[in-house]
Amino acid sequence: MEPVEMFLLPFLLVLAESLNPNRGKSCKVPMAAPNISAGIDKEQAFGMAETEMEYRVELFNRLGQTCFNKCVDKRYKEAELNMGENSCIDRCVSKYWQVNSMIGQMLSAGGQPPI
Amino acid sequence: MAASTSESDLNTQVPSSNEADQPQIQAIRMPSMEEIRAQEVWNNCAVRSVASGVMGGGLGFMMGMFLGALDNPMMQEQMSGRQQLIYNLKQMGTRSWSSAKTFAVMGVVFSAVECVVEKARAKHDTTNTVVAGCVTGGTMSAKAGPKAACVGCVGFAAFSVAIEKFFDRHT
Repeated sequence: MEPVEMFLLPFLLVLAESLNPNRGKSCKVPMAAPNISAGIDKEQAFGMAETEMEYRVELFNRLGQTCFNKCVDKRYKEAELNMGENSCIDRCVSKYWQVNSMIGQMLSAGGQPPI
Repeated sequence: MAASTSESDLNTQVPSSNEADQPQIQAIRMPSMEEIRAQEVWNNCAVRSVASGVMGGGLGFMMGMFLGALDNPMMQEQMSGRQQLIYNLKQMGTRSWSSAKTFAVMGVVFSAVECVVEKARAKHDTTNTVVAGCVTGGTMSAKAGPKAACVGCVGFAAFSVAIEKFFDRHT
């Protein structure tokens, strides 16, 4: 991973946990259903953790890119976010997260996406 | 040979300037929760409108005092110097107070409407300024009838757009 992503790791985890609407509920991980057997060895755990981490980093990057391109005007007049951009980013992140968790649940619940 | 020696001189010079440069580059720092909350205070519509009202009141007070000081009493020849001074001070006081109230109301209404509209639209545009200016001008001239309210709306909206363009000229 890039050093930037390593740096963002704690912030990313806090962000993911705070925005997660399924916090406290049964853990529905929006990726391929893992084989949680009793005797899971360290290698597999590390592999799963690394895959999850890569997924999370990809999600964060894409979320930031999408909402930045949508909400922030390319002519930078000042350094701080003004109110319109702030509410746009709030709404964008909320919708993105909701859609992402919805799709993840659909994919993890049924074997195939309904067409 | 001369070129290669000059190149090696450059190569020996460059690392030292790099070492001098390195401590000046700082990593990107995410804002802490206190910084985020301090910035979030100014995103609140009530806080912004009250602050804008206070600033408007101050501006109106200054303007009223200045214009009141220029006012000359009607019976200037019959008053003594002290009476003229007292009259002038009273004029300044009343004019500055009424002017401060007017400007404060204007500031509160304008700022509140602009904040609410911008939050609802989630866009930073001149449309927010136009709507806020129209509502402010309309409410201030509403006592003189609907036609005066329309004129006040259009006039104040044009004025506030002009002011905003003037302040954004350096971008």
